[in-house]
Amino acid sequence: MPFTAKSGKFNAKINTVEVGTGDKAMKLGGENVLPFYTFDDAIENAPKVGIEITDGGLENEPECVRKFYEGCVTVADMAKKAVTFEGVDFLSIRLEGGDPNGKNKSTEELIQVVKEVADAVDVPLVVCGCKNVEKDAQLLDKAAAALDGRNAMFLAAKEENYKTVGASAGLAYKQIVGAESAVDINLAKQLNVLLTQLGVDSKMIVMNAGTAAVGYGFDYVVSTLDRVKAAALSQGDATLQMPIVTPVASETWVVKESTASEADMPEWGDVEERGIDMEVETAAAVLAAGSDAVILKHPESVRTVKAMINALI
Amino acid sequence: MAKFVTIGERLSTTAPAVNKAFMERDPEPILKRAKQQLDAGAVYLDVNIGPAEGYGEDLMKWAVKLLQENFDNVPLALDTSNKKAIEAGISVYNRSKGKPIVNSADAAGRIENVDLAAANDAIVIALCNGEGIAKDNDERMGYCQILLERGLEHGMEETDLWFDPLFLVVKGMQDKQMEILECIKMFSDMGLNSTGGLSNNSNGMPKHIRPIMDSALVAMCMMQGLTSAIVNPNDLRLMETIKSCDVFKNNTLYADSYLEI
Repeated sequence: MPFTAKSGKFNAKINTVEVGTGDKAMKLGGENVLPFYTFDDAIENAPKVGIEITDGGLENEPECVRKFYEGCVTVADMAKKAVTFEGVDFLSIRLEGGDPNGKNKSTEELIQVVKEVADAVDVPLVVCGCKNVEKDAQLLDKAAAALDGRNAMFLAAKEENYKTVGASAGLAYKQIVGAESAVDINLAKQLNVLLTQLGVDSKMIVMNAGTAAVGYGFDYVVSTLDRVKAAALSQGDATLQMPIVTPVASETWVVKESTASEADMPEWGDVEERGIDMEVETAAAVLAAGSDAVILKHPESVRTVKAMINALI
Repeated sequence: MAKFVTIGERLSTTAPAVNKAFMERDPEPILKRAKQQLDAGAVYLDVNIGPAEGYGEDLMKWAVKLLQENFDNVPLALDTSNKKAIEAGISVYNRSKGKPIVNSADAAGRIENVDLAAANDAIVIALCNGEGIAKDNDERMGYCQILLERGLEHGMEETDLWFDPLFLVVKGMQDKQMEILECIKMFSDMGLNSTGGLSNNSNGMPKHIRPIMDSALVAMCMMQGLTSAIVNPNDLRLMETIKSCDVFKNNTLYADSYLEI
C-alpha cells in the first residue's frame, strides 16, 4: 500500500496575541500544529525571545552577565543596552526589589524605574512582579497605568490577585495579562476562565503555566505544557488557547549549577558556561514543549536560543 | 476523545408553540428557544419540522437561515421525513461550525437518507432499525452493518455515520435497557460514533423524575462510549452530568468552573 502522509495540523489554533506597538510590535501564538511541527503546517509566528533586567540594576546580575552592561549606570541604561543584543525580541523588567521579605522597595520607586525603562526603549515590554501576591497586585496595577498605551504584558495574575491585576491591566488599560499557575494544569485553565469571566478579552491573556530549571521537577513542567497544548489543539479547548510565556532566567540563574563557583566545584568547569547551558537547555526544552516565548538573561543564551528557533522555523 | 456532542431537541413541531411559529414563519419563539439551548451548552440544534408535505423545502430553508444568521452559523440537525426539505436546508447551510446532520436514516424505508448525506458531505444519524423495533442486538448490529456499508459504498467517512441504537422507554421495556447499553459498547468498540433520543427512556414518567432517569442513563451510556445524544439541554441536571462525565472520560480538562463553561 502506498504511504500517504497525513498532516497533523489541528482545526483549533492558539490565539494570536500582539504585544507592543509600532514597528517593533510582536505576535505570539497563532499556531495550529505542535511546537516546531512546520512539516504539518506553516508556523506564522516563531516563538519570541525576551531579555530580562531587574530594578536592582547591575548589582543584581551574575558576574558573567554584568560585563555585557559595562558603562551602564541606571536601569534605563541597561535597558537601552539589552535591546541591542542579538536575538532580542522584547524586554522584561522584573521588579524583584519590591518583595516585602527582601528590599521592600516602595511601589512609587519601582514604578519610576518602569517608566524610565519604558522611555528608554521602543521594543515590546513585559513587567514581572516580585512574586509576592499582595505587593504584585499593587505593583502591576500601577505599572499597567504607567505604561498606558504601550500594549505591554504583565506577569502575572495569580489565583490570589487575579481580580486586581485583571481589572487593572486587562480591563482598565487594555494591556496583556499573564495568568500564572505553578505547574497546575487545572488551575491554568481555571485562571483563564476566571479572567475571562471578569471581562478580560481572552485574546489579551497569555499563560505562564509554570517553569523550573531543568533537573528541578522539570518533567512536571513539560507534562503540564504538553497537556495544555493537547487540550488547546486536539480538544479545541478555548479556555487554554492562550499563548504560553515562560520566564526562564529567574529559575535557572539561582540554582547551584549556575551559581557555584569554579573554586568550589572545579569538576563542574567554567561557571559562566554552566549558567548559559542551564538557561539554554531549559529554554529549548520549554519551547519544544509548547512555550510561545521565553525570557532569558545572558546575551549568549538569547543569541543561541534565537538561532535555534530560526533554524527550526 | 472529543467532547460529548449534545443536540438540542427543543425546536420540534411536537411542541405546539414551535409548530405555530414554523407555520407562521414567526422568528421570535424559534430564536428564543434556540438561544436558551445554546446558552445551556447545546452544540448542535435539531430542527424538526415534521413531514411538512408541500412546504418543507421553503420552511427548512427559512429555519436554517434564521438560526445560522442569528447564532454564528450554529451547526444543525435537519430533522424531517421529507427528503427534499433536507436537501433544501443543506443548500443554504453554512458548514463553518460543523457539517449538517441528516436526521435520520434507518435500514428499511429511509435508507436512502444515507445516500443523501453522502452526496452532500453531511453526517447522518443511522437508526439501527428495520421495520419495527429490533428484537435483539444481533438484529441491531445487522442493521448497523447494512447502514455502514451503504455509507462507505457512497464514499462517506465512517465517523460521519452516527449510529442510533433507538432508546426504549423504561415503562414497558425495562428489560431491554441493558441491551441498548451493550449495543452502544459494540458501536464504540468498532470505533463508531453514536447518538440517539436518550430521553425516550423516561417517557410517561412524572416531570420531576425525568431529569434523574435521563442523567443516570446518560452517565451509563457515556461509560459505554456514546458520543452524542439528542436531549433537552435546558435540563440542568442532565447537562451537569454530561459535563462531569466528560471530565471523567478526559474529554475535557477539569477546572473548578467547569460547570459554567
